[in-house]
Amino acid sequence: MTRNVERAAAWMYRGVWGLLTRWFRVPEHPPTLPTLPGETLRSFRPAEGFLRYLKLKFWLGLAVFTVLIVGAWIALTAARPWIGVWLTPVALAIVAVPLVLGYLAIHLRYDSTWYVLSQRSLRIRSGIWTISEATITFENIQNVTVESGPIERFFNIANVLVDTAGGSSGGGEHGTKGSTNLHRGTLAGVSSAPEIRQLILSRLSQSKASGLGDESLPPATGWSVEHVAVLREIRDALR
Amino acid sequence: MRRMIPFDPSKVERPNPALLKYYIITALLTGPLSVFVILPFLFKYETLRYKFDSEGMSMSWGILMRREIYLTYRRIQDIHLTRNIIQRWLGLATISVQTASGSSAPEVSIEGILEADALRDFLYTKMRGAREHHDEEHVVAPADEALSLLREIRDSLRRQIQPESRP
Repeated sequence: MTRNVERAAAWMYRGVWGLLTRWFRVPEHPPTLPTLPGETLRSFRPAEGFLRYLKLKFWLGLAVFTVLIVGAWIALTAARPWIGVWLTPVALAIVAVPLVLGYLAIHLRYDSTWYVLSQRSLRIRSGIWTISEATITFENIQNVTVESGPIERFFNIANVLVDTAGGSSGGGEHGTKGSTNLHRGTLAGVSSAPEIRQLILSRLSQSKASGLGDESLPPATGWSVEHVAVLREIRDALR
Repeated sequence: MRRMIPFDPSKVERPNPALLKYYIITALLTGPLSVFVILPFLFKYETLRYKFDSEGMSMSWGILMRREIYLTYRRIQDIHLTRNIIQRWLGLATISVQTASGSSAPEVSIEGILEADALRDFLYTKMRGAREHHDEEHVVAPADEALSLLREIRDSLRRQIQPESRP
């Protein structure tokens, strides 16, 4: 029974996704990055656990909502049986419609999110209605934050937040998720967070610049061993 | 990708006419206000000019209040390419380019370019960190020059000194 329901849901979802990609011109393929020769590109979706995490959060929210609606309906039926019976389809619709829409929204969000990592930069695509792709080079990153709550740790996922220089739109240090802070890239729900952080930080520690758009340092003027050797020879020749 | 010839950003000067369509549609979506909204849009479309050279880009628009922004590619912090549903239908996109300034609003929003992906990747390759470090190249070249100069001095000194008989 549940398998059939799942299959029907998956089938319906594929139909919605097909319509979206065709009518709304949602790109089907993951984004790419221009690469240098010998550079490897890794593109991936959020971890499977992220989908389960989103669903769990959604079910918890929906459960509260359903209990409220059903409780109100039972109270009404007890007080005025006729009105209660008459309102049954309405109550069912109120419970069922958010369920379907929420399920769709979660899957669409999951399927339209892509992360692309190269050796020196990252690109994040997200959104359905407005598709946005952010490109950030590791060189420009100021700090990397890895955060995960208890439920996220249970699903073995974490969010990697990547900040570049410049003001954020308020909200303090770990502010406002989903706000229009363009100086931050969010890799939500990834399973390999420590690895990604390591990749970015190892690149950052090689860089001498501050990530504020400053050019590479002026050429070093110190003498090398060879210079000193030639200078000694000059001195000896003059003696 | 439908483009056959490689995209050349220096050829870009004016936004594509599709941008005018996009402006008109967004103005119409505001309903009765569209009469007032459409005028600034028309002015912006008519006066919008882009210029991409090897070091940076500039963008200017406006009739009464004229604005011209210039930024160098090396100062770019991050690039955002967004397409809403109307833009996708018209094949347009907005490329928001950010520098490290205090505002969270983008410094430059490039609109009305059909080859938005190619332009974005062009900006990306010009941005800091997309290519190898320049440090090593800079250090190597002058150092070697100094070394060869020193060797020349040494050799000419030896040549001058050697003929003389020293005690």
